[in-house]
Amino acid sequence: MDTSERHSILIVDDEEIIRDFLSEVLEDYDLTLACDGDEAIEHLKKRAFDLVITDLRMPKVSGEEVVKAASDLRPNTKVMVVSGYSSLKTASDSVAGGACAFLAKPFSIKELFREIDNALEQKQE
Amino acid sequence: MRPSWLISGTSLRLKFAVPISIMVVISTVIMSGYLIDQQSDSIGRELESRAETLIRMIAINAESGVLFESKYELDELLRVLYQFESVEYCRITNTEGVLLSSYGEMGADATEVHDVRLRGRNQAMLVSDYVLCRIHNHLMYVQISPITTEKKQLSRETLGMAAGVDKSLATPTILETIGFIELGMSTRTVDRDITQAKTAAILLTLMVVVTTIIVVVFTVKAVTKSLTELVKATDHISRGDFDTRVKIDQQDEIGHLARTVNRMAESLLQSREEIEKYNRTLEEKIIERTQQLEDAQAQLIQSEKMSAIGQLAAGVAHELNNPLGGILGYAQFTLEKLRKNVPGATTAKEIDAYIRHVRDIENQARRCKTIVQNLLRFSRSSRGVEFEEVDVNRAIKETATFVEHQLQINRVHLDISLAPDLPHIYGNAGQLQQVFTNLIINAMHASGPDSVITVRSKFSPALGEFGGAIELVFSDNGHGIPKENLNKVFEPFFTTKEVGKGTGLGLSVSYGIIKEHGGEITVESEPEMGTTFTIVLPAQESCVQTDNLENKDRQQTS
Repeated sequence: MDTSERHSILIVDDEEIIRDFLSEVLEDYDLTLACDGDEAIEHLKKRAFDLVITDLRMPKVSGEEVVKAASDLRPNTKVMVVSGYSSLKTASDSVAGGACAFLAKPFSIKELFREIDNALEQKQE
Repeated sequence: MRPSWLISGTSLRLKFAVPISIMVVISTVIMSGYLIDQQSDSIGRELESRAETLIRMIAINAESGVLFESKYELDELLRVLYQFESVEYCRITNTEGVLLSSYGEMGADATEVHDVRLRGRNQAMLVSDYVLCRIHNHLMYVQISPITTEKKQLSRETLGMAAGVDKSLATPTILETIGFIELGMSTRTVDRDITQAKTAAILLTLMVVVTTIIVVVFTVKAVTKSLTELVKATDHISRGDFDTRVKIDQQDEIGHLARTVNRMAESLLQSREEIEKYNRTLEEKIIERTQQLEDAQAQLIQSEKMSAIGQLAAGVAHELNNPLGGILGYAQFTLEKLRKNVPGATTAKEIDAYIRHVRDIENQARRCKTIVQNLLRFSRSSRGVEFEEVDVNRAIKETATFVEHQLQINRVHLDISLAPDLPHIYGNAGQLQQVFTNLIINAMHASGPDSVITVRSKFSPALGEFGGAIELVFSDNGHGIPKENLNKVFEPFFTTKEVGKGTGLGLSVSYGIIKEHGGEITVESEPEMGTTFTIVLPAQESCVQTDNLENKDRQQTS
């Protein structure tokens, strides 16, 4: 990975452990952390990100709204949904809402990187 | 209770013995009186008849003596007469009343009587007469008879007849009284005979009376003995002692009655045994049915719980998947790092990172364990549930973790406000969590997005006989319950949800659980304003004092 062109990723999850883990694993990326949907939207309003990784079920503002806000505010930003509530319906709803990928918790690092790479590739195209 | 002999024995004996004895005595006395009377009459008539015969015999024989006034002849006649029994005196007078002969003492009274009687008679007296008079303090039977002689009556007609004009006509004769014979017979012998007869009759009467009374008393006793036994037996039977049997082996009506009573007791015994048997069967059936009902209820509670768990599955999955995500991620990450590590070249920073990651894994695994434990406690079978001290606040918090995600999906906020000094109660945490889940999920279904469900716990301390209680309030600002449905919400199978969306058992089961905990659950609702369920649970007295400190600690840690 070219570190001079670090991709910016916004991580949105109310679970601290998930935030910590992602920030540890994705330390090579330009990371921004948000612990709920509100905070994420605020970040999106301030700047653009290459990728947003968001949880779905969060207090106050949900992941669906983050997906919607991202596509509204930053149409070029790719959004990847990560959820513990994994069902075909949730996944299809997320994709229909504008997400480019859906990752069910618990996920492996390999899956995570694959989905991130796919998403960033899609963005570059 | 009066003794049985007093009820029937004596009174029955008296009832029988007294009238029978009186009847026998009266009839015997009447009969004896009649017999004595008859006997006296008979003896009197015999005396009269003897006197009549004697006097007639003397009167016939005295005709010549009187006609010729032969004292010797008359004395001889009277001497013979005087020898007869009971003859007190006898005398013969002519028609002028001149005494021609006499024998025996007649006494002054008799003479007077005799004179009085004779003065009343004319000379033509032809038949004998008698008079009963008292002489020397005893009755005397005095018979007077005329002494007659035949006289030929001569007239012209009779003379013609005698000359043979008419041979068919005989010379008529007339009887002429020429004197009187008087016979005084003492009634002393007769009186003695009569007295003897009377004595005999009285003795006989007494004997008959005594015999009758004895016979009657014994007979009545024999009869009433059986009756008393019958009464005793029926008394026992009437008191429910159906094993009693009358031991009378007679071939009469009482024997028949005894056998009937025995048969009755036998059939009563059989009936009672049948009833008891039926009762036992009924009790067994009731126990069996009650068991079936309890089983069915337990199954209902269980199925309702499973339904709630089903509804919570998403929340539980989310709860588990988050820590599992951390665990899996950190494990893979650390493994990868360690694989790439050159032995002996690990920096302290790297080691710190490994320790941190493994600790995170440990913490998240514990979190998973807690979730699974909660789930297990919640899903534990309601059969044979054990009651123990329950921290209601903790049960509410654990319930909240299950439903939180579900609420988030529906964008319903749960506002929990718990009293810090809440005492423990005696109950089953799993069951209570089932109730709380049910109330919260129901509230969620009734509420729209961005609504709030509030859960409050409060402690009402003991006051007098009231031993202190915990009050839990579950409120929502949802669409409420129509008034007509308000009193039906706790009924089984009552639901306003679409078919397949609700079992209609949630509130009914909740109601049963709260009742089992000795508590109350009530509902208030205003359509389009919201619904409030209030649960009151009795506080454990022993828990009221001891758990305050624990609660404070827990509150701080939480």
